[in-house]
Amino acid sequence: MLQEMWGWQPALYLFLGGMGAGAFIAAAALYLMDKKQLTRSICISMWAALASLAVGLLLLLSELVFPVRGLMMWQSFSHFSSWMTLGAWGAFLAMVVFFVSALLAMPKVSSKLAEKWELYQKKGHKVRRVLAIVGIVLGAFVAFYTGMLLSSVPGVPLWNTLLLPCLFTVSALDTGVALVEIITIIVTRASDEELPERTRVVIERSVIVLVVVELMVMAIFLSVMMAGDVSTASGSTAVLSAEQLLSGLLAPYFWVMVIAIGLLLPLVVAIAGLALKRKGMEVAMALGALGALIGGCELRFLILSDGIHAEYVLDALQKLIS
Amino acid sequence: MTREGLLTRRSLLKGTAATGAALALGAAVALNQEEPALADSEGGEVAIAHEQYGFLVDVSNCVGCENCVAACRKENALPDSYADRRWILEEEDGKGKTRRLSHSCMHCENPSCMAVCPAGAITKDNAGSVIVNKDRCIGCKYCYQACPFGVPSYNDDGMDKCDTCRGSGVAAGDTPHCVRACKFGALKYGPVSKIKEVPGVQPVDAPGHPSYYLKFPISYAVSAHK
Repeated sequence: MLQEMWGWQPALYLFLGGMGAGAFIAAAALYLMDKKQLTRSICISMWAALASLAVGLLLLLSELVFPVRGLMMWQSFSHFSSWMTLGAWGAFLAMVVFFVSALLAMPKVSSKLAEKWELYQKKGHKVRRVLAIVGIVLGAFVAFYTGMLLSSVPGVPLWNTLLLPCLFTVSALDTGVALVEIITIIVTRASDEELPERTRVVIERSVIVLVVVELMVMAIFLSVMMAGDVSTASGSTAVLSAEQLLSGLLAPYFWVMVIAIGLLLPLVVAIAGLALKRKGMEVAMALGALGALIGGCELRFLILSDGIHAEYVLDALQKLIS
Repeated sequence: MTREGLLTRRSLLKGTAATGAALALGAAVALNQEEPALADSEGGEVAIAHEQYGFLVDVSNCVGCENCVAACRKENALPDSYADRRWILEEEDGKGKTRRLSHSCMHCENPSCMAVCPAGAITKDNAGSVIVNKDRCIGCKYCYQACPFGVPSYNDDGMDKCDTCRGSGVAAGDTPHCVRACKFGALKYGPVSKIKEVPGVQPVDAPGHPSYYLKFPISYAVSAHK
């Protein structure tokens, strides 16, 4: 039994939105760490984060019955008790900040602004620093909101838990780091440079921490679902959803694509990279990061497909007539 | 004996051919209890301002004839592209007997669909009916996901669901066409405060406090299986 009302567009949006938010956070963090290193990689990563979020939102728009009405945000996203409204405005603001940050990260734009505007010459880095921090906050909100969007519906037990936004937030950071990692490796190899040692260590440590935290949140999330009270409609549906993921219809995709390729592969590569301290690990690192992207994407598809409604009426009828 | 009790028993006799003599006899025994007045096929009281109205299904009387489903489609002039707004749910009672009930939007006291609608297109009226404004709906399908019963459906005009026949001219609190069409006294409509007074009534335990109650008298169950 699978959820079929929301198709592939919302699933891909949840992935792209989370990955875009995570990529901006990772790129902005690299910028805040050292504003003179990896400038090209940071710039491309910020554009990639913006593109990812924009494509995700366009996909979501295409799922609407009235896409044009959806574009009239002041009317269609005016009810602020809805997480969809909060998310739409949060994503919109994030896109504005991502766009300005990516634009200012372009050396040509930055130097022209400095030429024409003396104040920018003096305060340019401060402006970019503030934008990076605001972007990190907005990115974290977007990453969290992709989970809250599902978590705020009471009829689907698998989604109706705060553990889901926690899982999606960690996964968003994980996939965001993976995207920045791939971009950084491609950019440095294309310019015949080596990935700076400090950056490599930071990325590998980040991957290890994020994968371990994600595995822990995933284990708690699924344990809570499996512990559902089967005598109730919501509890039995939670157990059914968890079983579908762990041992049922969706299990092969979950274990192979999410756990093995998406989490264990990048974890092993990152540990090996740190332990061996060898140069030339970039290809393996990129493969691990690609695995993280595949796993993160598959996670959204699986969670969305597995979001089945509890049978409250049937349960009430059964209890009444039995 | 109340007016409602007499009407219900008469309606049940109409259903004897379909449900069998034993069924009707048992139901009649159970319905001898005093019940508050609720609207059935004969109609009922109209609208008390700002009072939550809801549905009561007497499971022992529902034969699954789908008169309510047909009346809903006809009276609301639903085009072919629209899904049904009402369904019949079936379940075996463990003794091989199929039990049925008619259900639709539960018009919850605190509707989840209304809370999650980004456009504010879903509202509640005087009688607590949950109504969608099709001119505002963007068709995001979030209300379907939020509804504990997965009630909303979608077509080219956006979201569609039961509006207790408000769109076909029935006043707030007046009897919807599905209830008028039920000839077996299985589906009733009235203030939730009165429904709760009906002996043997059970709420559907779900988020949002659905205004939907079930009744299946134990005395009936015993007599039907003798």
